[in-house]
Amino acid sequence: MASTYNYPEDYIAWFIKGNHLGLVTLKGNTEGSYHSKYGQYKPINEAVTNGLLLHYYAEPNAVSAITDIPDVDNVFHSAIVDYVKARLYQDKAGTTSDGNAASVSLNLANIHEGKYNESVKRNGMQKRDKTGGPRRVLMADFT
Amino acid sequence: MAVHSLTVKKIISRVRQAFPNAPEAYIMNLINEAIVEMGKYNTKVEYAKTSTVADQQWYTLSDTNSGVEINKVFRVDFMDSKGVYVKIPRLLENEIPTMDID
Repeated sequence: MASTYNYPEDYIAWFIKGNHLGLVTLKGNTEGSYHSKYGQYKPINEAVTNGLLLHYYAEPNAVSAITDIPDVDNVFHSAIVDYVKARLYQDKAGTTSDGNAASVSLNLANIHEGKYNESVKRNGMQKRDKTGGPRRVLMADFT
Repeated sequence: MAVHSLTVKKIISRVRQAFPNAPEAYIMNLINEAIVEMGKYNTKVEYAKTSTVADQQWYTLSDTNSGVEINKVFRVDFMDSKGVYVKIPRLLENEIPTMDID
């Protein structure tokens, strides 16, 4: 069905609770109703085919084959190498019986962990800035 | 010119410079772990359409058909009578007088 709302932004609102999106409207009856009056939020009153368009940040897809390319921006790809190496060095430090080797492995794990964190935070911020679109500075109005 | 990116195979070969015997499946698990962590950053913007049901308040945020998981919804549009999607406001308080569990 099609929508009958001419100005949905004046009536309909959304909110999130846990893993659910709540959709409510202000439209309603004016007389003889309890908690369904015009002006009170209540469940959306219309069935609209493809009526909602959601914009969201999605979870990247997992890799399952060696030909796959990780589903994140390519600036993160070298960080993945650091992440994997950090974990493998931690594993090595935990399994070796040689104290010196364990110490060296732990140091290398920390180095790779640090490189991973630095890269992800730096590029993660950069990506967040990109999503904001063009920016401008508004000067203060002194008049 | 093609954009430079690393396939899983290339990542494995780089890791094997230091760990020649590291199992492929284990490295792939670790790659997926890294990707999940990176998912905390807003790296992938997606869009989806869904239909509304009369008198239904709650809509589950999952899209199992496409295998995409929603991390954070940042904008919602509703179709108007002309078929145009219009941005609708978000209720920040999350509290309304009536409640439903459907």
